[in-house]
Amino acid sequence: MSLLEIHDLRKRYGAVDALKGVSLAVERGEFFGLLGPNGAGKSTTINILLGLILADSGTIRIFGEDFATRQTAIRRRMNVAAAFTSLSGVLTVRENLKVYGGIYGVNNLNAKIDELLERFEITDLANRKLQYLSSGQHTRVTLCKGLINDPELLLLDECTLGLDPDIAEKTRRALQEFQREKLTTIIFTSHNMNEVEELCGRIAFLSKGEILRIDTAARIKGLIPQQILEVRFQPGEDLEAVRHLDGGFSPQHTGDSTFRFVLDEPETQLDAIMQRLVQTGARIADLQMTRPTLEDVFIKVARGEI
Amino acid sequence: MRSSLFQELTCSSSAIWGLVYKFVCICYRSLDRIFDIIYWPVISLMLWGFTSTFVSATSSVAGVMEFFLGGAVLWSLFWRAQTDVGTFILEDFWSRNVYNMFASPITSLELFLAIAIIGFLRCVLSFAFLSLLAWLLYAFNIFHIGGLALGAFTTVLLLFGWVIGIVIAALIFRYGLRIQVLAWSVGFLIQPFSCVFYPLESMPRWVQVIAVTLPTTHVFEGLRHAIATGELAVAPLLTALGLTILLLIASLLYFHYALLQAKRLGLLTRFEMA
Repeated sequence: MSLLEIHDLRKRYGAVDALKGVSLAVERGEFFGLLGPNGAGKSTTINILLGLILADSGTIRIFGEDFATRQTAIRRRMNVAAAFTSLSGVLTVRENLKVYGGIYGVNNLNAKIDELLERFEITDLANRKLQYLSSGQHTRVTLCKGLINDPELLLLDECTLGLDPDIAEKTRRALQEFQREKLTTIIFTSHNMNEVEELCGRIAFLSKGEILRIDTAARIKGLIPQQILEVRFQPGEDLEAVRHLDGGFSPQHTGDSTFRFVLDEPETQLDAIMQRLVQTGARIADLQMTRPTLEDVFIKVARGEI
Repeated sequence: MRSSLFQELTCSSSAIWGLVYKFVCICYRSLDRIFDIIYWPVISLMLWGFTSTFVSATSSVAGVMEFFLGGAVLWSLFWRAQTDVGTFILEDFWSRNVYNMFASPITSLELFLAIAIIGFLRCVLSFAFLSLLAWLLYAFNIFHIGGLALGAFTTVLLLFGWVIGIVIAALIFRYGLRIQVLAWSVGFLIQPFSCVFYPLESMPRWVQVIAVTLPTTHVFEGLRHAIATGELAVAPLLTALGLTILLLIASLLYFHYALLQAKRLGLLTRFEMA
């Protein structure tokens, strides 16, 4: 049994279908990514899982229990850290964390708060009012709140937004360590593709309220089958034969002695193209295969090309 | 709706503690919340104190000072209870904390019990301060109407104040900050119909029809009776209590409905981004 099971989740706002039958399952201890352009349905899915939005139809089971009828008990074992949200501005960091520690019924609350502040390197901010913190400091306090109850299911919505690269890297490490220690299941959304690829074992790629694919990052990238082969030849080589290479490869001359080949079926085409290039007699100085990135897939999905 | 209603009626002491702790922190960290315990009630007391001093000196009606000052002190209790519910809910809107607060496992019952606890403490402070001030400035002792009568009147006023506060909270969840002014202004709308400073029969017939539906009218009619006779009139008190309990149940059901509507329309997440 999966820790989270969503079946045929639908949500409509007026004439707009925000979710058109989303189904997915997330296993215990998984770091699971939700990826997609703005309006794809990521935040709607997360907000339904938090009980902040009511779905029109569909079922959700978390920890093996029906979310609709056992929501309060289930939410005690979950938590969220989301960008664009805040805590009480007039309260200090420690006071805010004590409020949520109380709500979630955390034992040894002061020790837990100290541990989290240390984990995210903000111990010195404990007695500062939240309204005086920078956005990066604020984001880390929100993360502390998200981990205050050692959640079994943690939802992270753009939670590293506004962090500088160094702090973002430390935050990712802290989250990975936390997940390993507590075996927390994490559902993660971000527009930072490298981050998603680094952290998430599996990714659900959403577009216009539907899941296009659930897979590993490597396989999601397979949604774009083309790979680019760039070949740079030694200076002074006669490249006429390369320019008119047979086999339907249509090389593009991109520089002085560099050619670019778009391979629709790289597994079968690469060997053939290399043999033909050797037959031309032109000496190769360098070769580079460029595979599609998650960002390439993301852009194509956002533009409706996939 | 029924299953979600039952879930909203569950209660955890640690969640209530967390919410009360938040409200206590807001009270001592925010000058506004300290100030409003005494500022408006004191203004009201002074206004009616001077008015009643003048009217007493120029009229032959007995007990004018007691009617006016008793009304002013007890009305401030109702007003305090009513505005506290609205402002403590609004604090989360102003801090953009609605998302995190309602994503946490709090229930409506826990939220209102916590507000009731902090609201009760603030009302006790406000009432004690005003009672002392009325005694010092105008030699008016509100406890002369009797402990039982005072306890009964203040209980009904507190509960009815929370009823109005809960309805306003429901409207805020449904319509957002654009109607936040209701948190302070609804009391002023109810006051003319509540017979705070004048008897029910002195008002036009059509106003009386509205006035008898308000528990506050029966409380202040009972207050004047207690001041005039030294006895507690049971009938208006029971009417006020019965009306308040009915309205309390209706207001909680309306709040639940408004919260469900806000969740259906996705408003809880949009308030955060506003």
